[in-house]
Amino acid sequence: MSRVALSLLSLLAALLFTEVASAHGERNQEPFLRMRSAHFFDVTWSKTKLAVNEEIVVEGKFRLFKDWPVNLPKPNVVFLGNGTPGPVFARVESWINGQPAIQSMALKRDRDYTFKTVLKARIPGRHHVHPMLNVDGAGPLLGPGDWVEVSGRAADFKLPVTTLDGTHIENLEHWATGRVKAWHAIWLVIALAWLGYWIRRPLLIPRYVALREGNEKALVSHTDLAVGAGLIVVVVALVVGGFVYTEAEYPRTIPLQGGRAVVEATPKSDAPVTVIVDRATYDVPGRSMKIAATITNGGQHSIQFGEFATSNLRFINRAVPAAVAHVDPRYPKELLPRNGLKVADTTPLAPGETRKVELEMTDAAWETERLTSLINDPDNRVGGLLFCYDDRDERLVANVSGSIVPVFMDVASAQMRMTH
Amino acid sequence: MSAQLQEGSVTTIYGKRWSVEMADLSRTLDRLAVAIIFIAITAAFHLHYVLTVGDWDFWVDWKDRQYWVTLAPIILIFFPAAVQNVLWSNFRLPIGGTLCVAALTIGVWISRTFGFELWSYFPLSLVWPATMIAGGLILDAVLLLTGNWFFTAVIGGMAFGLVFYPVNWPIMAPYRLPMEIMNSLVSVGDYIGYAYTRTATPEYLRFIERGTLRTFGGHSAVVSAFFSGFVCILTYMVWWWIGGALSRVVTIPNRLKFAMGMPEEKVVRAEQQA
Repeated sequence: MSRVALSLLSLLAALLFTEVASAHGERNQEPFLRMRSAHFFDVTWSKTKLAVNEEIVVEGKFRLFKDWPVNLPKPNVVFLGNGTPGPVFARVESWINGQPAIQSMALKRDRDYTFKTVLKARIPGRHHVHPMLNVDGAGPLLGPGDWVEVSGRAADFKLPVTTLDGTHIENLEHWATGRVKAWHAIWLVIALAWLGYWIRRPLLIPRYVALREGNEKALVSHTDLAVGAGLIVVVVALVVGGFVYTEAEYPRTIPLQGGRAVVEATPKSDAPVTVIVDRATYDVPGRSMKIAATITNGGQHSIQFGEFATSNLRFINRAVPAAVAHVDPRYPKELLPRNGLKVADTTPLAPGETRKVELEMTDAAWETERLTSLINDPDNRVGGLLFCYDDRDERLVANVSGSIVPVFMDVASAQMRMTH
Repeated sequence: MSAQLQEGSVTTIYGKRWSVEMADLSRTLDRLAVAIIFIAITAAFHLHYVLTVGDWDFWVDWKDRQYWVTLAPIILIFFPAAVQNVLWSNFRLPIGGTLCVAALTIGVWISRTFGFELWSYFPLSLVWPATMIAGGLILDAVLLLTGNWFFTAVIGGMAFGLVFYPVNWPIMAPYRLPMEIMNSLVSVGDYIGYAYTRTATPEYLRFIERGTLRTFGGHSAVVSAFFSGFVCILTYMVWWWIGGALSRVVTIPNRLKFAMGMPEEKVVRAEQQA
């Protein structure tokens, strides 16, 4: 009795307190994949509330990381997708560096690209919308996601286009589907008629017995043969007739287009900042990542360290006004860890100067974003982008990558406990 | 000639006398068997189809002139060939091909309507299935007229591969109209595939028109269809044999009884009685 009550209680709890999973499991991707493949930045969503048939523009930039994981295929075939719950939006346009991204393309590591995707709302609901790169062999690499609410009725959605021969298609959703159903119905009726012609007679045991007793002529009559011959004539006539008629109806058709697009990367900055990671640690109980690095300012102006970005998390150094100004107020709050980036020495790095710098990012976001499973990865390295701002508020983006060592306990405290 | 003649409590079916009661019972068995066989073939053939032809038939922007035309008929002929053997060799029923493709057609329509359209929001213009019924009808008619599996393989198998593309062209042609999107030339089918996001099926996964199979005026579908037809002949022969092998009732002598000391004659007699 108590088991039944417990089961019912569990079921009730599951029904009452379970939320619908509407995101894409982005936190479930391995940290090395998220930290060292595609880094999205400056991503914006033109709106977060829209009606069916209205459009939203998702645009920004991404860098394919220099320290690309060795166990992932290189980004030689890449497609700009959108991380949405299936076709709840229709993708109307997509561009990479101003070039159409309707087809896949080869991209280069350690280079930046701009992207723009125009999506037309189709299915009402609250959808998590990410930019996404599909890399052949590496799978989907998701950018940051924001919630977008679509109102209206799905039945009102329309996607009109005009073909090069002047045919105006009112709605691609239903284009030529009447034809599809009609031809399927025609063939199915003929098939069922043929099956019915044979199945209406005594079927299995009587035919089996007659065949075993050598009475085959009773099973297949001359009429049957004539019907069979007629069937071939009807089928061939329908196939040939349908083909010829369709050729006349649609004289200008093209095959599927399956080529590869070619896109040039954004030119590299000529004033680089180089970061060499000396030691990186992740303090497991303290949820804190610390990176000790040797940083060289190769530019003409002094710089400050304004932001560390990894896995779509943006650790902002609030002591640098230019970095704060670069944060769009509409940017998803869950991707901006509250504690941000702390830099031990806040003195600007002078042009040509090399200095040892300690970067600290302490936040529960490492746990909530499931990045701490980094220590289980076979290729255990940290990766991210360091955004530096010079004295003109211009931004320089540097790669940060290096081995990372987990810290499971405070060694000094542990030694103290052992002494006592 | 009528299949059944009734005189009082006795009826003649295909030249053999049956009691009316037994004839009725046999007919009931027929109805049950037809329903069960149809459902079983629908399920099994559909599973086989989605696991093998899969994406080539799911999406309008995968139905190319090379791989779809080559692959689909070769894989589709498996079940018709095997079922034709069972139904023709044991019952002289020339319906194996049509039965399979009709069952598959119903199966794919259930799947596309409920799984793809209603559950996953894909429009029918993206996910319409190919028709393959013409090939099944031809296979059955050829088997009926020749009464010979070899000629059915050669004539029917070749026809099965050859008709696949032309029979689907009236459905597909509107999706091959050219259009311009983002300063690029694409077909309507390409654009439908692009517009309706398949998150885990990016564009590069499409396996369409690779290599240099372009002769006969640049239309690779002709070469593909003939190649498919040739392979269908061979595939038909293999699966005709498999159908026969799988429908044969075989027994294996129970060696355990010998091992336990039972005399051989007793074991054989017991199995014969069983």
